[in-house]
Amino acid sequence: MAPVTEPFPISNVAGRYLLFDVDVISHVRRNHNICGVLIGTIPNLSQQNVFLGIPLQLMPEEARVLVEQGHAYIFDDAQAHMQGFFGMSRKDRLEFLRMMDERGQQRARDVRRKAEERSEKALREKGLLQARTEQKESEALVAEGDPGTDAGGSLFGSTPQLPANRRVADKKLAPHFITPTTSYPPLAPPSQPSTLALPEVPRQYPIYRYMQSKGYFAMPGLRFGCHYSIYPGDPLRFHSHFLTTGLGWDEEFELLDIVGGGRLGTSVKKTYLIGAEEPEKEEGEEGKVRAFSIEWAGM
Amino acid sequence: MACPADVKPPIHPSPLQLLVTDASLLSPSHLPSLQTLAIQIQHNLQYQHSWTALRLHTHSPLTNEPLPRPLISGLPPKRLYVHPDEQIELLKKAEQDRQVRSRQGDNNTALDIKTELEPEWVLPTRLDEKWTAHRLSDVFGAITVVPPDEEASDTSEDRPANPWRTVKRIVLAAVSTDSTVVYYIVQDGVVKPRQN
Repeated sequence: MAPVTEPFPISNVAGRYLLFDVDVISHVRRNHNICGVLIGTIPNLSQQNVFLGIPLQLMPEEARVLVEQGHAYIFDDAQAHMQGFFGMSRKDRLEFLRMMDERGQQRARDVRRKAEERSEKALREKGLLQARTEQKESEALVAEGDPGTDAGGSLFGSTPQLPANRRVADKKLAPHFITPTTSYPPLAPPSQPSTLALPEVPRQYPIYRYMQSKGYFAMPGLRFGCHYSIYPGDPLRFHSHFLTTGLGWDEEFELLDIVGGGRLGTSVKKTYLIGAEEPEKEEGEEGKVRAFSIEWAGM
Repeated sequence: MACPADVKPPIHPSPLQLLVTDASLLSPSHLPSLQTLAIQIQHNLQYQHSWTALRLHTHSPLTNEPLPRPLISGLPPKRLYVHPDEQIELLKKAEQDRQVRSRQGDNNTALDIKTELEPEWVLPTRLDEKWTAHRLSDVFGAITVVPPDEEASDTSEDRPANPWRTVKRIVLAAVSTDSTVVYYIVQDGVVKPRQN
């Protein structure tokens, strides 16, 4: 894992907060207990959604925490592309095109080598290759050992031309056209923190921030009918401890929600946690968030 | 047609109803509806869940101000809440005791977990009420960690204090319109779940 320099950029694409760098993804997971959700899929197998990959989508709350604590900054990815590609200097563009050509050449060579390997394999299976390699060896022997004598041992007269043909093909090989899958490079992500507004967060943000600051990991809580399911450590190693719902300080809730959440939580060995931010209280050591843990009393 | 005095009236009020309509039990500090609610919960705790030492509190033991609503304190017949860390400690102790007993030739090898009884606070609510975090925090602000003793000797604790009981907790009793009561433990702050 390469070291990540903070603040690192978070791409804002169509209202989503995305991370594209695997090093940054493992960095936030290790050091800032932020998991996010991997959403990348294979374009031609988009229904395959069991093992998703990069990019990692961050909840707005996660992005906000990272920005507020100065670990990251948000940048508008679409705008960065417009500026980057339209404002590119001629030298940079030519350099990029040359690089692309090189990659195309390399790709074409790889393809041809693969094709040759395939045909060689097929020939070997049919027993035709044996003769060709033997003949090649004898040819080489003749060439090295006795340059004066005629290559009488050769079976095919045309074989000496083969290497020459190949060399010609190497020169005439048409480069493949590469469609770049990433735009960094040629672009570099904007290095200076932009003045983009903080991510809009829902009203349950305070309890998320509070639990994150205590070192807990949060995952979306839809599966348990709450806002976050909160883990005492990495979700790959621990079961979750809390089903968390964030509320406003004076937001009314039904007692039936407490009964439902408390009963569901207890039946899966979790605590139902409700939390709200107290507006007028001074910013103390504990912060301004009050949390209440609810469990079924068992009577 | 007048009923003779020794004949049972057609509709006999239930003991709970008699209790709730007893005006002498009401205190002027709170609305009658809140007090009858507390009396109903207290009745349920006493006769359905065999709680003892039940007491109605109308004023905060901390500030002596009127509580947001009358609260109940009482002693459940067995321990209602064991913190997971305390549970580990208790299991260790029980395992040691068992080993000692088996060395002494005792055939009873069952794990005997001893828990001291603990008094609890109870917050009576109706299920159709709406609550807010603010109101909940007001209730927690007015109570002590352990309910005061019956003899009003708040300072002299004859029961040894449980070192694991560090945060305030209250048993939320929610009564529905059919008089079913459900009980939930609410703790002040982030407390990890029990491992049942």
